[in-house]
Amino acid sequence: MVKSTNDRIANAVVFIILLVCGLVAVFPLLYVLSVSLTPFSEVLKNGGFILVPRSITFDAYHKLLMESNIPRAFGVTVLVTVIGTILNMVITALMAYPLSRKQLPGRNLFLMMVVFTLLFSGGIIPTYLVVKSIGLLDSIWAMILPNLVWSFNVLIMKSFYESLPEELFESARIDGAKEFRILLQIVAPLSVPVTLTIGLFYMVGHWNEFFQAIMYVTDRTLFPLQVVVREILIQTQQPLENADNMTPSETLQMASVILASLPIIMVYPFLQKHFTKGMLLGSVKG
Amino acid sequence: MKRMKAVAVMLSSIVLICSVVAGCSSGNSSNSMNKKTAGALGESIAGSGESSGPVKLDIIETGNNLPTPDKDFIKQAIDKAIQSDLNLTVYASGDDYKNQLNVRLASGNFPDLFQVSDRAALKQLVEQGLVLDLTPYTDKLQPVKDFIGDESLKKTTIDGKVYAVPKAPSIPYNTYWIRKDWLEKLGLQPPSTIDEFLKVVKAFAEQDPDGNGKKDTLGLTGSKLSTFAPIFGAFGVGDPNTFYIKDGKLTNSLYDPAMKDALGFIKKLVDTGAVDPEIMANTGLQHQEKAIKGQAGIIWVDWPNLSKDQFTEQIKKVNPNANWIQLAPPLGPGGQHDGPYDLGGTTGIYAIPKALENNKDKLQKVFDLLNYVSGKEGSMLVQFGINGTHYNLEGDKVTPTELMGKEAGFTWLYQFTGRPEMTYLQTKFAPQSKYIQFANSQPRIQILNGFLTNPEGYNPADTIRFIEEEFVKFIYGKSPLTKYDSFLKTLESSMNFKTYMDASTKQLEELGYGK
Repeated sequence: MVKSTNDRIANAVVFIILLVCGLVAVFPLLYVLSVSLTPFSEVLKNGGFILVPRSITFDAYHKLLMESNIPRAFGVTVLVTVIGTILNMVITALMAYPLSRKQLPGRNLFLMMVVFTLLFSGGIIPTYLVVKSIGLLDSIWAMILPNLVWSFNVLIMKSFYESLPEELFESARIDGAKEFRILLQIVAPLSVPVTLTIGLFYMVGHWNEFFQAIMYVTDRTLFPLQVVVREILIQTQQPLENADNMTPSETLQMASVILASLPIIMVYPFLQKHFTKGMLLGSVKG
Repeated sequence: MKRMKAVAVMLSSIVLICSVVAGCSSGNSSNSMNKKTAGALGESIAGSGESSGPVKLDIIETGNNLPTPDKDFIKQAIDKAIQSDLNLTVYASGDDYKNQLNVRLASGNFPDLFQVSDRAALKQLVEQGLVLDLTPYTDKLQPVKDFIGDESLKKTTIDGKVYAVPKAPSIPYNTYWIRKDWLEKLGLQPPSTIDEFLKVVKAFAEQDPDGNGKKDTLGLTGSKLSTFAPIFGAFGVGDPNTFYIKDGKLTNSLYDPAMKDALGFIKKLVDTGAVDPEIMANTGLQHQEKAIKGQAGIIWVDWPNLSKDQFTEQIKKVNPNANWIQLAPPLGPGGQHDGPYDLGGTTGIYAIPKALENNKDKLQKVFDLLNYVSGKEGSMLVQFGINGTHYNLEGDKVTPTELMGKEAGFTWLYQFTGRPEMTYLQTKFAPQSKYIQFANSQPRIQILNGFLTNPEGYNPADTIRFIEEEFVKFIYGKSPLTKYDSFLKTLESSMNFKTYMDASTKQLEELGYGK
């Protein structure tokens, strides 16, 4: 196919726009990485705005990994993320599948109940009361169970299941499969894209968890990564009230940011390719 | 048939969901149930007067860098001394802390001791009936009273009743700091009057004191209007909206006739273009960063932020010649005053929930804790760490060891009743000793705002913002000073300021000020 000049110009424009967007997205990350690797005196001398470090030091990382609460917090976060995501996925699938079957009695009622939670929530204090009364305070379950299911994800999954051809279910039934078997052996393998996409949502959610930790957990040994990192970052934003405080240097702060976000950034590319298939809701799927 | 199957699917999925949820939470909830029953058991035993295990105390406050309990030697030492099991939780952000406190108070899950951000917040809690009136218990808190001084309790007295424990009085930290090497380079003397000050500020911006051939330096920087605190002081007025005694009369700085003159002079300073144009935007420690980077010649800041080892090291790395010295407040028509010192101010207030009234043992334990950290042994512990490890005692003199700097940076989180500020700082910050003394010995206007409680119908946040905005307009020449009186009128008519003034005057007169 011969491309016209117009096409080429259009392509070039699109390319440039995308390139700029890409750079805008990558730039802050590079900056953070660069500052975290540069000796702090360099940062101060050069006004803190260096893209490629002039000299490299791993002091900040060493300090964070050896002397701070970060390794322990890292463990907590990994635990919460792994357990949490698995539970999330199981429960969400178990909820979405029946809702996607038209023969489910009272389906509309259940759907209404799910959608209702999207629009209204109890608020902080009632939620706290619930968490407290079932004895979840000060345990890692307080960071997992209150958000076990995100209604929106149920809807996405439901609509994916609905898009599967009805004949599939019929033939499975003719072959004698019951609902559980259908879900496990027919539906689950076909819904890898949506499962991975939603899994990633849940995963990122758990990884970035700090609000529930701050509300429900007072035991310092159970603080997740983001709470600890936030503590390091926030310190320099308040003027010193107490002379004893050690203010962490910018290098240290940036290193903590990198440590907190790197793992999830590394997972992301492997799941990203499933996004377009998995994320479509209420539109025509290819 | 189809129906039946569907029902089965539905039921089985519900059962499964329930069982999974239950399965996940059961282990833990039974665990916490055990804890609860154990706790109740412990309390009932204690109630019957027999020996009890350690009493668990839940404490929340703002702070940071608290180690985990296994490394927290202060917690361990206090627990051993008073038979307690402390669970201190600190929140790095004030908002997080407020959320946590509100939720816990609202849900009845009271901490046993908690920080209150200020007097206004304390008043609110008192009105809601959430904090314990300590007046009947003052005998039990004698060591605390001795430690913080009887006067201090005025800070947390509302309608004649003591509702919380304030920390022992602090000392002022802030002064102007000036680059001596820049002064020398330009052949100038440290300014002693406000006119000289103006000249130096201007020279720092215009005569290239850092010698890099570029006009890239600032004369003066700071954070918000407090940047000009000693200038206000030079005219004998306190910072905006502060109360003090002037010529025997109770005065609010906004109504002080000298305020207009002060504003006029500050406008002159700003007009030179040598004052950091971002002072109102500087948040946190941005002004300090500018100073360390060598962008400004004079800064209004506290001594820790410029003279602690951590920062002198940074300064040296960026510019080995930089020589920051403290500057006495410049002399003006109203005398010589550094930033104001709040007689009613405190660095922390701690309250006990009213619910603890019914749990005498726990209440007694909280008193024990407060008394312990106010007593000789406990106070030393929360100030310096463990004797022989973090410091050595020779007679009365405390000599810090290397471990103190390494490990004991968090002990202040346990200073619930404060500390003897001067000796504490002199010991812990021996190299900064002269700066501490300098900041402490400067003449200051003694303001009284810390004793005030806001009256009904007065919104302090809005008012403060309004005053700040208007002051910025005056300083930057957006509105002429002739409009100052109409600014006061607007303040009174739209911000309920009259009510505030009347209420404040009455409160202060009741405390014996201005009569």
